[in-house]
Amino acid sequence: MKQDRSRGFWYGVYALVLVGLVAGIWGMSVRVHYDWNWRDVPQYLVSTSGQELLAPFDAYVTITPDGKTLSLTEYGGERSASYTDFEQAYAESGDLVFRDDLLAYQAGLRPGILLIGLWMTLKLSAVSLVFALLFGLVAGLGRVADNPAARQLSSNYVELIRGTPLLVQIFIVYFFIGTVLQLSAFTAGVVALAVFTGAYIAEIIRSGIESVPRGQMEASRSLGMSYAQAMRYVVLPQALKKTLPSLAGQFINLIKDSSLVSVMALTDLTKAGREIISSNFRPFEVWFTVALMYLALTGTLSYLVRRLEKRLAHE
Amino acid sequence: MNDKALIRATAVTKCYPNGTQALKGVDLQVSRGEVVCIIGPSGSGKSTLLRTLNAMESITSGEVMVDGVSVHARSTDLNRLRTQVGMVFQQFNLFPHMTALENVMLAPMRVSKRPLDEARSRAEKLLQKVGLADKAHVHPGQLSGGQQQRVAIARALAMQPTIMLFDEPTSALDPEMVGEVLEVMKDLAREGMTMCVVTHEMGFARAVAHRVIFMDGGQIQHEAPPQPFFDAPSHDRLRAFLGQVLK
Repeated sequence: MKQDRSRGFWYGVYALVLVGLVAGIWGMSVRVHYDWNWRDVPQYLVSTSGQELLAPFDAYVTITPDGKTLSLTEYGGERSASYTDFEQAYAESGDLVFRDDLLAYQAGLRPGILLIGLWMTLKLSAVSLVFALLFGLVAGLGRVADNPAARQLSSNYVELIRGTPLLVQIFIVYFFIGTVLQLSAFTAGVVALAVFTGAYIAEIIRSGIESVPRGQMEASRSLGMSYAQAMRYVVLPQALKKTLPSLAGQFINLIKDSSLVSVMALTDLTKAGREIISSNFRPFEVWFTVALMYLALTGTLSYLVRRLEKRLAHE
Repeated sequence: MNDKALIRATAVTKCYPNGTQALKGVDLQVSRGEVVCIIGPSGSGKSTLLRTLNAMESITSGEVMVDGVSVHARSTDLNRLRTQVGMVFQQFNLFPHMTALENVMLAPMRVSKRPLDEARSRAEKLLQKVGLADKAHVHPGQLSGGQQQRVAIARALAMQPTIMLFDEPTSALDPEMVGEVLEVMKDLAREGMTMCVVTHEMGFARAVAHRVIFMDGGQIQHEAPPQPFFDAPSHDRLRAFLGQVLK
């Protein structure tokens, strides 16, 4: 009973601290005369201006007098097209439009720039993760290998990557390797993130392998299995299961690290935020929104991993 | 006798990089169907000797022949050789992420490429042989030490080896579980399996072994059939050792 009361007291303290923090942030914004305006934010998540209707070919535009039908006649060609499902026309009758010119906005919702940025962040992280796991597995196996070349190379890779800042690596990949090999911004981003995360995953996998008792490898070899077979069927399954929490943590780090690729011409969530701010000058609202979106992503992920862990622990 | 030798170790020495000499010139011969027990104080090199027989341990000089194959020659296909030499460890070393049945099936399927059905039926028979047919779908973590060691024996037998090596198979067991494991080993001996057993179980050595070997200081000090070995130990250090363990 007494313990219940003191617990209640400390929950009260917790709530007070939270309220104090929020009040502090608000107070600071008042001091700099910041004019909060959250109403501008939703349109960057979901845009109500509808889908863009683009010209499929070079053509002359005809719009019926009631303004409901827009027809195209190809310039110097035979094709024609007509549209009725649009809200507001941007072209006028008699205009000559070129391919991919904006004709009109169609009715309905479309994802705003923040959601598009979030999707890019997700795509970038997922693709990078696949390659990072691959690099990490190879380098991790190299770290525990007998072969001196494999061991030295993997160890150099890990030291080199862990000893230099990710931002510098991104610049090197984008401006040097990317230029030489003509990589797109997305490819360059994936390369930089995968190589970086791979080094950390290599260490996780190495420690996972080393945590499996030696006897497992010995028993496998005594049955006539090759080193590779013993790794594949006996050691790695146990090592990966043990390292799953650390691997998940590394994936969450990867999502957060991916914000650094916004220095390249790649509109991820962070870059989307910067683009919005440069047009509406509302840094507080936008950065808070961006932070919340990252938090939603990483929070969902760690929840899924906890569930997976529980399932594995049951087996 | 020499012609029938399935295992023949000649002048085997083993030096660790730090300079300790684990084996100082050991000669050992084991005939087909023979059961040899190796006893001796800890650090005497008995486990090391056993592990050189299937190249789990390298040797510094000498030669080990198993069924006419030089074990430590560079050209030897060790993976193939090891399918003929089963090994049972002190710590069982079962694969914890697999059921008992899967433990027994793994090597036949992956090494000998046996089809699933054949591997499964053989594994079931072997589990029955060690008295654990009802534990086929249980993971090692839920088995007692004695049960785990019996699964480990079944796993080694699944490759149909001609020789079985036992490295202190009962040393990590609670006393009440030693018997069940020794029973399985006695059955194997009765069926004519060639066995090398490093053990502290003098009762087992006396009852089952054809020959008992006493090792100390990296050398074989004495070897004899169990009766004279235990009843009339002619060797001073052996007498002292037996005095210690049988006390």
